[in-house]
Amino acid sequence: MSAASDSLAVRPPRRRQSPLLRAIVSGTGIVALIYIILYALYAFWQPSALSVFTFTDLVNNSTPLALAAAGETFVVISRGFDLSVAGVVSLTNVVMAVYPLQGAGGALASLLICCVIGGVVGAVNGILVARLGLQTIAATLGTMIVCQGLALVILDAPGGMVADFVTYKLTDTLFGVVPVAGLFLLLVVILWLAFRRTDTGIGLYAIGADEQSARFSGVAASRVRIVAFIAAGMLYGVAGFMLSAQTATGNPTAGTPFLMLTFAAVALGGTSLSGGRGSLIGSILGAGTLMLLQKVLFSGGVSSFYTGIFQGFVLVLAIVFGNAVGWLLKKEERQ
Amino acid sequence: MSFEESTAAVQISKVAKSYGPTVALDSVSIDLRPGEVHALLGENGAGKSTLVKILSGVVKADGGSMSISGRHYAPHDIIDARSQGVATAFQELSLLPNLSVAENLMLPKMPAGVLGLASRRNTTAAARAILEEYDLAQFDPDTPVGVLSLSDRQRLEIARAFTHASKLLILDEPTAALADVEWLFRLVRRQKTRDTAILYISHRLGEVRSLCSRATILRNGKSIGTVALSGASDENIFEMMVGRSARQPVASHPSRDDHAAKALEVSGLSSGILRDVSFDVKRGEIVGIAALEGQGQRDLFRALIGLSRTKSGKVSVDGVQARISGPGPALKIGQGIAYLPEDRKSEGILAGLSTASNVVLPIMSRIARCGIVWPTRERSTARATAETVDLQQRYLNFKIDELSGGNQQKALLARVIMTGARTLLLFDPTRGVDVGTKQSIYEAIRTFAAEGGSVLFYSSELPELVHLAQRCIVLYGGRIFAEYAEDAIDEQTLVSALIGHAHGNKGGVAA
Repeated sequence: MSAASDSLAVRPPRRRQSPLLRAIVSGTGIVALIYIILYALYAFWQPSALSVFTFTDLVNNSTPLALAAAGETFVVISRGFDLSVAGVVSLTNVVMAVYPLQGAGGALASLLICCVIGGVVGAVNGILVARLGLQTIAATLGTMIVCQGLALVILDAPGGMVADFVTYKLTDTLFGVVPVAGLFLLLVVILWLAFRRTDTGIGLYAIGADEQSARFSGVAASRVRIVAFIAAGMLYGVAGFMLSAQTATGNPTAGTPFLMLTFAAVALGGTSLSGGRGSLIGSILGAGTLMLLQKVLFSGGVSSFYTGIFQGFVLVLAIVFGNAVGWLLKKEERQ
Repeated sequence: MSFEESTAAVQISKVAKSYGPTVALDSVSIDLRPGEVHALLGENGAGKSTLVKILSGVVKADGGSMSISGRHYAPHDIIDARSQGVATAFQELSLLPNLSVAENLMLPKMPAGVLGLASRRNTTAAARAILEEYDLAQFDPDTPVGVLSLSDRQRLEIARAFTHASKLLILDEPTAALADVEWLFRLVRRQKTRDTAILYISHRLGEVRSLCSRATILRNGKSIGTVALSGASDENIFEMMVGRSARQPVASHPSRDDHAAKALEVSGLSSGILRDVSFDVKRGEIVGIAALEGQGQRDLFRALIGLSRTKSGKVSVDGVQARISGPGPALKIGQGIAYLPEDRKSEGILAGLSTASNVVLPIMSRIARCGIVWPTRERSTARATAETVDLQQRYLNFKIDELSGGNQQKALLARVIMTGARTLLLFDPTRGVDVGTKQSIYEAIRTFAAEGGSVLFYSSELPELVHLAQRCIVLYGGRIFAEYAEDAIDEQTLVSALIGHAHGNKGGVAA
């Protein structure tokens, strides 16, 4: 009965496409293209867009969301959703505003504290999910609410004052051209590229695609999942830290707008919300695109009330476009 | 016996496992000699997969003990099992589609390069060496596994298991998706010389006979016995598997009434690759469709039930000509026509619902009182039909995905019969089920036909067509190639017709 399938089996497996082509048609390539187009539009409407000042401003605005989206990417690739991002950003923001530590050393200590807060929340998430078997949304919804509650206990109304060093130095430029906030993003990207080449990094993609197969292949799935949540939490902490640098003050609900925008940035960056596919770099670009879109619309004279509508449109279009490209490639492969 | 014990490479004694009240393994004992290829036989649900999981370290046994080369063996996870030289090629394959061939082979630890990070070059090189060792040099290590065909994935799964198995290799249905079994046989024979014991699980007795020397038979979670294959006939083995004589003499086909009314009449049907197909199925008749993979049988069944678009042609059910727009409306045409789909997992069962709910699904609205389906009524209705397909009543309360494949298939057949349709379309009704279940399914189909129902079925197994069909239609290249009736249906005739040879066409009418 196997004459027909025999001929298929003998055929050697197809070579995969060149890495360049894959990068272009990957989600990261698409979102990068959108970013460039939007930036051109921005420069067209507002020539000052090409100045260092405007660029720095844009990077500063985008960094907190970009860091949060970068963190979320870890969890999404492992096939999960992490809502605690809103809680951690709020919590670290109020900690920065209520307990300012002055000077460079203080800033470093604050950064570490933020990382630790995020890391602890992430570890709790990871243990709830990987060891106790809770669904990711349920577990992280819980920790998000707890963190938001803690933020309100520390600071019950907007107020407080973030340390001057953090506010001024971290929103400034290095040598007058390089935005300091951008260096944070660059460091995160470098660490990500290294992480992808670790066994845990490969395991992350494996458990996102199929957790049972990953286990059967010997991947320590629970450990990988916990690492993903901790890494995510730490990045949310850094996001809260950079948000504080920008706003210079504390707000117990500062993290709330991050919740939906983070997922939008991740999806826009080409990371599959069903896991196993995507990249942190795409998420950073996705966050950048969402923030840039605000500026473009503003400079184009569109009322800010319309921002949400456009962000939603761009998000859906990018995903539809990405799917269409993927579908076309598959079709070509079959022929 | 003492001689065997002293030379046993792997010793499994009285291993047991229960999931809550369900006993999956009662007491299983097997001894494997070094270098032996040992078959594990049993019906679906006999406990084979549970034993595989215990040996591979996926689940822990509740009782009994295992040892390898005399050392106590109780793996706490897959990696632990591997480190003690035990590896498994899983039936459901455990490859990651989004990772490359090389990464899949190397999981969970990639060869390191500079800075201790995984090096793509070293990974690729290590993978290439493995691929060459197992005669898979045509694979590109950088290909993502997702683009490979199912049979290539199965080879990869098998090759990976070979690399980790130094003491015991478990091959669970390794040929399910393999068209070319010679490759596997070569590897298995080579491994024999390396003193690795192989536990070989397959439904295909022919394969087992050509590879294995001894077989252990499982039934209801117990090891019934170990036999030397050279001294056991197929009948002996079947009997041990099902606990009764499975191969009843081929029942003579119920006499066919040429003048019976036509239940299903198809004329000039074209759909997908199907071209201008005409035939009919009379009341009380069982008609088989024989075809190699992809000759239009799928299009035929899907067009008849309204799941694929018909390009041209007419279909009449019980004399009523109709345009069938889907499985729901199909039930209302003439005396109804119902379809048992090909893939029970994705098109058949509703996992998570009880078996009873799955069975009564088509007549939910009929058994509802005041719009509510009462559980007791659901069960009593299901019970009646369960009997006709030989499905044990205790299974009705189980969630359907907890049942073995064979029992799921019985439940789905019960569902199709439950619809009350008098014409059934069954697509490969015994795919992947064991010998005992097959007999029950054949029995149910025959009973259905004897009571005046009509059946059109496709089967990928020739013996099944010979056994069950009163008339057999051979599809080739989307057309009806030949048609045989009653005694003219034999395996050799069918084989030549399947590949488009009209020779040996005795008594049949080449169309």
